[in-house]
Amino acid sequence: MSKRVHSDPKTRSKKSKAMTSASAPRWTLFGQPQLLEGEDAAAYDQLLVRICAAVKPVDIIDEVFVADVVSLEWEVLRWRRLKSSLIRAHGLEALKGFLAEQLDSDFDLYSEHFADYLAKILQENLPEEQVDSAQTLAHECARNEPDADAKVNEVLAGIGLTMDGILRGARAHKAKELVQEYVRREPDAVTLVHELLSGAGVSMDALVADALAKKLDYIERIDRLTTIAESRRNDSLREIDRRRAVLGETLRRSVQEVEDGEFEVIETTPAKGKNAA
Amino acid sequence: MTSDRKIKANRANARASIGPKTAQGRARAARNALRHGLSLPVCSDPPLSEEVEALAREIAGTDANAETQELARRVAEAQIDLRRVRYARHQLLSDGLSDPYYESRASAREKVRVLCHLLRPNAPDIPMAALERYLTSTPQGPHKFATILSEEAKQLLALDRYERRALSRRKFAIRAFDEARHHL
Repeated sequence: MSKRVHSDPKTRSKKSKAMTSASAPRWTLFGQPQLLEGEDAAAYDQLLVRICAAVKPVDIIDEVFVADVVSLEWEVLRWRRLKSSLIRAHGLEALKGFLAEQLDSDFDLYSEHFADYLAKILQENLPEEQVDSAQTLAHECARNEPDADAKVNEVLAGIGLTMDGILRGARAHKAKELVQEYVRREPDAVTLVHELLSGAGVSMDALVADALAKKLDYIERIDRLTTIAESRRNDSLREIDRRRAVLGETLRRSVQEVEDGEFEVIETTPAKGKNAA
Repeated sequence: MTSDRKIKANRANARASIGPKTAQGRARAARNALRHGLSLPVCSDPPLSEEVEALAREIAGTDANAETQELARRVAEAQIDLRRVRYARHQLLSDGLSDPYYESRASAREKVRVLCHLLRPNAPDIPMAALERYLTSTPQGPHKFATILSEEAKQLLALDRYERRALSRRKFAIRAFDEARHHL
């Protein structure tokens, strides 16, 4: 444990440091903790300290089992985290797709994005003397002014783009922004998303379920890994229990032997004379 | 078509080859068929063997008799083997996660197929930026992790079998060790 590469000494608790230094040579024999990219070494140390405090290993074999329980519990937590973030990510992606579709029927909701997106394209593609007018032209086009529409279509045709493509891009951008605001629980975005969902007669749960239906094999695989790690962790705990029972029995026997040695059996001899008369 | 003369020359050259000549080359060739080496006993690896001995000494404690030492060695062997399997699995996942271009084989094949299609004479015109975005896109975050688990499922399953066997060996070795100590 003393050689752990991922751990940040500053973030470790005093308790964890004390335990690490006290038992470092033995713990290193069980191998480094297997942390993946982005996992918190301090949290792993804390888990080790907590489990050690609960189990109170009495010998190196108990320590082997404790190291196992910690490592497997860490794995269980990893798979649970992965499952929940995967479900969440798929749900948000489904929401983004849904919003992009819904925005199609209400141009006002993304006209600003359309104008900005178009202005950027026009700035890159208009002749140098007209670059300054890109912003104005884009906003006129967003307001559906025929002259501006014609001019923009002409520019877009020259660079192999279409108005539909620009609208699609603007909708996708707005949908992405809306999802980010929804995740941050910004009231306007939450209200708008709920309105669009109820307007279409779907719920967030239904969107998530639809999205996950295509990715069930991923979820099943993660569930299997979780089950394996849980059952191995429980096996290690059972082995600790079994050893405690054996240790308890051995201790009881030893105590009995010590007690037996302490006391001498005194042979009682029948008293003479008193009742003989 | 390849001429007879050329075939003969190739065969003669091949017969002249006796494989790698340098010690480094031979060492590399010796590992050609090696995948993870987990089927080899830990004792066949000198550094691991030393670790087994160190752990066995810790388990047996001082003044242990020959039988206890042997039982402790069995526990240590299984424990080091288990550590080796877990390390291999960790390495497999770590390598995938740290590879910024990791993607599924199906997705890579699909990209090649799209590219081949676009290189044909009457291919549809796709904006360069969109094509670049598509070709360089790789799974990120939880999608990437899930993709790794899915792509490496076969290897992970094999590693799981090794882990299960090592765990079982360790459990029975520990029980035998405890039993022997109990009777002392």
